[in-house]
Amino acid sequence: MSPELTVVLAAVALPFAAAAVTPLLFHVLGERTGYAGGAVAACCFGLLASQYGAAGTVELAWIPSLEVTLRFTVDGWALLFALLASGIGVCVFLYSPAYMHGEPGLVRYYAALLAFMGSVIGVALAADLVAIFLFWELTSLCSFVLIGYHTDDDASLYAARMAMFVTVGGGLFLLVGFLLLSIVAGDALGPAAAFDLAAMLESSDEMQRALREAGLFVPVLGLVAIGAATKSAQVPVHFWLPNAMAAPTPVSAFLHSATMVKVGVYFVGRVRPLLAGLEWLLLFATLGLATMTICAVLAVASTDIKELLAYSTASHLGLITAGFGFTSVLGAETGVFHLLNHALFKAALFLIAGIVAHEAGTRRLGDLGGLRHDLPITTLVTVVVALSMAGLPPFSGFYSKELLFEAAVEAGHVHDIGPLEWLYPAVAVFGSIFTVLYSLRFLSLFFGSRPAPLGEVSIHRPPVTLLAPPALLAALTAVFSVDPELAVRAIVQSGVDATAVSPHEMHVGLPTAYSPAVGMSAVTIGVGFLAYPFYGWIHERIRAFPRTLPPVSSNWWYDAVVDGLTDGGAWLASRVHNGLLRTYATWTLATTCALALLGFAATATIVPADVVGLDAPPEAALVLLVAVAAGIAVVRSESHVAGILTLSILGFMIAIFYILASAPDLALTQLVVETLLLVLFLLVIEEIPEYDEVELGNVVRDSVLSIAVGATAFVTVLVTTDARPAETTALARYYAEQAVPKGGGTNIVNVILVDFRGFDTLGELVVVALAAISILTLIIMRTGGDSE
Amino acid sequence: MTAFVLALVVGALFALGTFLLLRRDLIRVVWGLAIVGQAANVYLLAMGGLTEGDFETVPILAGHGVDVPATADPLVQALVLTAIVISFGMTAFALVLSYRVYEEHDTLDVSELGDRE
Repeated sequence: MSPELTVVLAAVALPFAAAAVTPLLFHVLGERTGYAGGAVAACCFGLLASQYGAAGTVELAWIPSLEVTLRFTVDGWALLFALLASGIGVCVFLYSPAYMHGEPGLVRYYAALLAFMGSVIGVALAADLVAIFLFWELTSLCSFVLIGYHTDDDASLYAARMAMFVTVGGGLFLLVGFLLLSIVAGDALGPAAAFDLAAMLESSDEMQRALREAGLFVPVLGLVAIGAATKSAQVPVHFWLPNAMAAPTPVSAFLHSATMVKVGVYFVGRVRPLLAGLEWLLLFATLGLATMTICAVLAVASTDIKELLAYSTASHLGLITAGFGFTSVLGAETGVFHLLNHALFKAALFLIAGIVAHEAGTRRLGDLGGLRHDLPITTLVTVVVALSMAGLPPFSGFYSKELLFEAAVEAGHVHDIGPLEWLYPAVAVFGSIFTVLYSLRFLSLFFGSRPAPLGEVSIHRPPVTLLAPPALLAALTAVFSVDPELAVRAIVQSGVDATAVSPHEMHVGLPTAYSPAVGMSAVTIGVGFLAYPFYGWIHERIRAFPRTLPPVSSNWWYDAVVDGLTDGGAWLASRVHNGLLRTYATWTLATTCALALLGFAATATIVPADVVGLDAPPEAALVLLVAVAAGIAVVRSESHVAGILTLSILGFMIAIFYILASAPDLALTQLVVETLLLVLFLLVIEEIPEYDEVELGNVVRDSVLSIAVGATAFVTVLVTTDARPAETTALARYYAEQAVPKGGGTNIVNVILVDFRGFDTLGELVVVALAAISILTLIIMRTGGDSE
Repeated sequence: MTAFVLALVVGALFALGTFLLLRRDLIRVVWGLAIVGQAANVYLLAMGGLTEGDFETVPILAGHGVDVPATADPLVQALVLTAIVISFGMTAFALVLSYRVYEEHDTLDVSELGDRE
């Protein structure tokens, strides 16, 4: 079954259209706009679900002259991600009205959330590099608006700027990667496929060969990795994600755990068949495992429930990246299956964190505990999703983590990677131990005794609209825990088919026999539970680390870079933009000269072959030399009057030159203009006293610059006159021949000005009229007594 | 050889104009603008080709219905004519502006004017 263009387009466009009419909806519905958003999300979900089982690419011509087409690919992987985005969107929209009750700026909130959902569905389905980049950056933009939701809170604005800086900056790297990719694809697959990712993936072997031949394989890989790593908060640019928790909790659940941050890993999975190889393994497996471990450790050090979940999200994104990094089919299975599991349990956990914060009034881990008496249903929901996050059997997270362990063990069999063969599994186990630790810590919010500060607070049960969305997600997690094969059959298998190099049938389930992966899981869970009683001690040890060594703390180097850029910008502005005409002229002229000369040098045209292409009569040369002499006199003149008179000599010499160059009209105009200017100058000079240049210190520098400009002009004249066509151009000939028949005049220049190019002349007249009016205004303003 | 002279002249005029642009006296800056404009016009015209002027090369036809001789390029002449008029407007405006600046601030020293901002 091939996908329907109209359905796919509707699924992408509907959220944007809804975002545009949000102000109207809000006017009618008030805070119930969230339910309307939920309806939109449900519509998108339905539209996408109707394409279930379809595979193929549909396209809509966008900029045909540039071969840019709006292409959408529908396959298992795209559908999985798009369905997740719209499905979790439904949950978040239903949750929002109760959570955001009474907050200002809800129009902006819902509009951005809707636009965001459209962008993510767009990224998931787009198969065109330009469209992907567009939707990719739109998600960053929406995230910026939503993180900065509390516009009166400095921390919120700081976090929004940071997220924008990191994700949009990373997007620019991705753009360069895309351009390199499209250059290679245009050569290898034909110009029509230059931006067509679907075509590239179809002939991925050919593309990879072409990339390697062009020497662009590693650059493209690196650029895509930077783009994905910034978006998916991989080490060392993971720091923006915990800061982004300044956003309202539904936003954190939707953008910063389930969807936006997954755009990076989604795209890694998408291009995996195209770029997989040894370099791919080394880059993404290392990046992913490092992120997974470091962020899991940081999650243990967290003091705030949302901070814990944020680091945990980054850690799980590392797990998915690492999964895709392993080039065996197990790697693809890990990535796809864990993306699904993580989206379900982490969105639920964030929504639970929102309930806890809403009902208990605090998000500090230390102040919370024993909530099971007050929130029994929430506790049940949390047990399912937290244990799934920990990767405990038989919960869904266990299966995908087991796949990661298998892929890590397998990595050494696929490629010869030396000691990394055992280092990868070891790091995976080490990081997973911390995952177990922080998952148990989160669960402990509901068990044990209530800490003293919480004692007096009366905790209400959450309304059903707050509880239903996480319960729904937890129910799905439970279903996939009981029967993981159901998830595999439903969508994961087709996602694996799209992301694996050589897909085969996938099976998951509880292990029945011993294997290295089972041993690794046993070690992880065993050590995790044994270490849990020492949680407080481990927590303090990790927190002490950044205090002794500031550069490892998450914000330190971001602040250093941004402050450095700000200071550098201010310093440069004060140097270049100092209010002195001389400085501006110097920079502008020097840059122009340097660029022009560099251009000539680069194209090796700096010395023309022969310079006889231009015949000027000798008397013209003589007149011009007199003009130059007059120019020197202008520069050397001591008084204004002498300067004006010599300037006029220069002008009249040019007029004579025009006569000699067979241009009588120019000569006439020049004579009139020069005479007028002479009169004008003399009139003005009378009012102005002689100004003596006091300081001569910069004469040398000015002379050097002037000579450089003169030399550039000299070279330009030589080079360009040499490139001039030998005969009269066809255009000039046309005007000469048509002057009488079409213009009815014998003076060709006049006919051109007033007839052929009449509108240009009208524009010129307007300019002169404006100058005249301005001059008049300037003079009247003073004499009219309006002096201030 | 003459092309060389032409290039030399345009280069020299540009250099002189630039030197004046960098002076501290506002009136001299206006002169600089005027000279650079003249040099650009000469350059533009030269791009159309320079030939010994005679009756035929002037781009004015002898009368209606006669053969059209090979004239000097009329198009660049039209361009330069426009340029002359525009640069006249600009120079006049700059000059009056300088005059107003002097009336307002009692100085024509651009360095001093820049410092006031």
